[in-house]
Amino acid sequence: MHPRAFEYVRASSVPEAVALLAKGGEDAKILAGGQSLIPLMKLRLAAPSLVIDIGHIPGLSGIREEGGFLRIGAMTRHREFESSPLIRERYPLLADAVKVLGDPQVRNLGTIGGSLVHADPAGDWGTALLALDTELVATGPAGDRSLSIDRFFEDPFTTALSPSELLTEIRIPKAPARSGGAYKKLKRKTGDFATVAVSARLLLGPEGKISEARVGIGAVAPVPFRSIHAEDSLKGRSPSDAAFGEAGRLASVDSQPGSDLHGSPDYKRAMVRVLTRRALETATERARM
Amino acid sequence: MTDSMERFLTGKGAFVADLDFPDLIHLKIVRSVYARAIVRSVKGGITAKDVKAYMSAVGEGGAGGTGPVAYPVLARDRVNYVGQPVAAVTGETAAEAEDLLDSVTVDYEPLKAVADPEAALRADPIHPGTKSNVFGEGQVGRRFEDPASPVVVEETLRNVRVVPNPLEPRGVVVRWDGRRLTVFASTQSVPSFQEGFCESLKLPKRAVRVIQMDTGGAFGSKGGIYPEYIVAAHVAMQRKRPVRWIETRQEHLQATEQGRGARARMRLFADREGHVLGLKGDLLIDGGAYSAGMADWSPRWIGMQTTGPYHIPKAHVTGRAVYTNKVPLGPYRGAGRPEAAFFIERMMDFLADEIRVDPVEVRLRNAVDAAFKSPTGLQVPPFKSFLEDAIRETGDRNRAPSGNVGFSAFVLVPAANSGEGARIAWRDGRIKVWLGGKPHGQGHEVFVRRLVSEELDVDPSLIDLEPSDTDALAKGVGSWGSRTAIVGGGAVIEAARKLKARVRQKGPYAAKKLLAGKYDVKVFYKPEGNFNSLGANLVAADLDEFGLVRVRDVVAYYDAGEVLNRPMLESQVAGGSAQGMGQVLSEGAWYDEEGQPLVGTIGDAGLLSATEMPTFVVKTAKTRSNTPHGAKGVGESPAIGVPPALVRAVERQAGHRLTETPLRPEVLVAPVKA
Repeated sequence: MHPRAFEYVRASSVPEAVALLAKGGEDAKILAGGQSLIPLMKLRLAAPSLVIDIGHIPGLSGIREEGGFLRIGAMTRHREFESSPLIRERYPLLADAVKVLGDPQVRNLGTIGGSLVHADPAGDWGTALLALDTELVATGPAGDRSLSIDRFFEDPFTTALSPSELLTEIRIPKAPARSGGAYKKLKRKTGDFATVAVSARLLLGPEGKISEARVGIGAVAPVPFRSIHAEDSLKGRSPSDAAFGEAGRLASVDSQPGSDLHGSPDYKRAMVRVLTRRALETATERARM
Repeated sequence: MTDSMERFLTGKGAFVADLDFPDLIHLKIVRSVYARAIVRSVKGGITAKDVKAYMSAVGEGGAGGTGPVAYPVLARDRVNYVGQPVAAVTGETAAEAEDLLDSVTVDYEPLKAVADPEAALRADPIHPGTKSNVFGEGQVGRRFEDPASPVVVEETLRNVRVVPNPLEPRGVVVRWDGRRLTVFASTQSVPSFQEGFCESLKLPKRAVRVIQMDTGGAFGSKGGIYPEYIVAAHVAMQRKRPVRWIETRQEHLQATEQGRGARARMRLFADREGHVLGLKGDLLIDGGAYSAGMADWSPRWIGMQTTGPYHIPKAHVTGRAVYTNKVPLGPYRGAGRPEAAFFIERMMDFLADEIRVDPVEVRLRNAVDAAFKSPTGLQVPPFKSFLEDAIRETGDRNRAPSGNVGFSAFVLVPAANSGEGARIAWRDGRIKVWLGGKPHGQGHEVFVRRLVSEELDVDPSLIDLEPSDTDALAKGVGSWGSRTAIVGGGAVIEAARKLKARVRQKGPYAAKKLLAGKYDVKVFYKPEGNFNSLGANLVAADLDEFGLVRVRDVVAYYDAGEVLNRPMLESQVAGGSAQGMGQVLSEGAWYDEEGQPLVGTIGDAGLLSATEMPTFVVKTAKTRSNTPHGAKGVGESPAIGVPPALVRAVERQAGHRLTETPLRPEVLVAPVKA
């Protein structure tokens, strides 16, 4: 349980980190909270020759509403979401997600940016942000570019970032009125990754009908994904057991779960149905508040 | 707070990995990545050409194997499980040794592995030169004609293998001074380790000294020696430098002997009132690649206990242990006792369902007042009055809103009759006590101090339980099998009495006289008779729509004899209950068809944490044992009683028979098709 020898550099600015990344190429890795990278290195599943620590770059963390967006620095630790009144009051979906993410030790050190870039198919933030029309800001040698969360995850543990890009910010459009979101995670016990996770965000029209729906599904496909069939089935309908049951069915059809220690594909599909229904119910309650 | 608790909680424990010497060598092991393969060649590292030794039969249930089934310390021409040691490398630092693992090249020719014990019965033998994979066969009770009973309950039951997973993995530091090996070990037994090193390395007893370091849990995995220890000794002797080998958690998940791994086909014959008329059983033990641990004697040992505390007139149980391409089976908290209890207790619940009678009532109908020996050979203490008390003491079993409660009863058979050694010396202003088995998390110093101070009438703060050391006390056994309070306690009392007798040679005994003199006595205490005791558990648990279980209450009622220290007993029961819950809810050493372990990291191992813990209520019955202090065993009781009671609590909600641990969520939810 000892990593291979590696060079460690503490970057003091984003441009410096990007330059180091460009220089290090494939053998360089960014260290944020270290909750995935360090175990991988100790298990020798990862053996970077250069580790670039971005934990001391000023301005890379923090949660604030600004210019129509909730803006989150990539180095923001999970714990900061737990203690943020803004998240608790206005973004309950994110509050749901952080509450069931890892354990207190992981939440104290782990970061939202690190978690997204690690791109575990069962990672909580990826699934959660899919329901919130999220934009991710990547900084590379040529400056910033914005990516949609919908196209961010390409394969297990693989994102759309280029090797010389650093994820620097997460932007979520401000929660509109009469909207509500929820995140539901099935895990066997405290600290586990999700067996199945579902995020849902609903926008209710003036007559109480669903005018917009987003449903994110995690842990049951190579990458977290939106169930477009479930979303389409909800539009224009009134929130109801029948509508949510149908959405759950469609979401489970869109899933491609594998068999592992968490359960069989049939079990996981059944759980997608249950969790989708539960997430939509909670999202509706919150939209009506 | 006890001394050891204070030391551990303040970071002052001294574990084997804390031990350092300036010229220490770090050892790492190259392990098989195949469950079964021919080893064509090994290039680099220390190999079987250097270490020609074989494993020996030591510790609880050891059986090394000879001839074609001998267990080599480093694999010779074949590997038989994933994780089997093939070669070793050394470094000046642990990281360097780990880097060097890649310098060894092993050329394998993979063979078809036999991972499933049922398949092993039909498959070609995994060991060339043997006729079949069956290596332990036995039967208990007498064969009988199926009675013409109106009720026959049949079921196949299974306990999947479990990884011991103590907090501290295994490890040794070995030193050689040219004449003598000194082994610093995380262990349950220094005498077993000494014997194992001597046999494997063909050294005389005087050439091996074993000293126990603080030991952070064991659960059976530290009673005997392992291949890595012998490799460490070999390197220490060759290089004349101390060698350290510390197991990683990943190695533990692959290469530490696993427990349970038993299947039973059971048939219960009964009348319509639920009186059991006969029991037939057939056991199959997933023995793993070598008969290192306890598989060979498991058929008879588990079979003997399958009648439980019930008065069953006829019983016949057969069993076989088979070789499979997995790490050998070993003792794991309870070591055969929980398996037997799971099999009979599940059958009693099924019988109750079959005749639509309350399961506790069915148990009562099969309880008798007098002690007896069951047809399989189990000594059962007077059960009926105990059961009546247990029903009352564990509370209203129907108090849960949906009746989500299970109840179990069992006989604990402690490993007491082999006895234990003790030594007491008064020197340097302290009363020093040595025991054959030192604690590996239990806090034995608490009862040692109490018993010795009461016997000698001295201030308890003068008394120390010393680390186990074969030089200090050569004759001893070890700590396992719910035995230490019984025989360790008896041994220290006998030693204290011997000490008193010495003082009395100069007139009537007085503590002052003892403290004015110089004394050092050794005894070996070997009690006669039977120390079996009864236990019962009630467990309340809820099942949700995801197939997940929340355990609410675990209530224990155990005959612990004279309780030596109640807080220590209660924490034993809480810890053991958590372990039993883990076996039921999430701990399973699953393998795929190729014999590849599916549990790769601690995150997959299914260990429960504080957030999953229920409320524990611990009550005791008091029937004195025939030791001087009247104690009985308790360490394994919760691992025996909790699993069947918990499974029953869940079963009432699942609505169909539950026959296997761990319970998989997909078995517990109503099947829903997408």
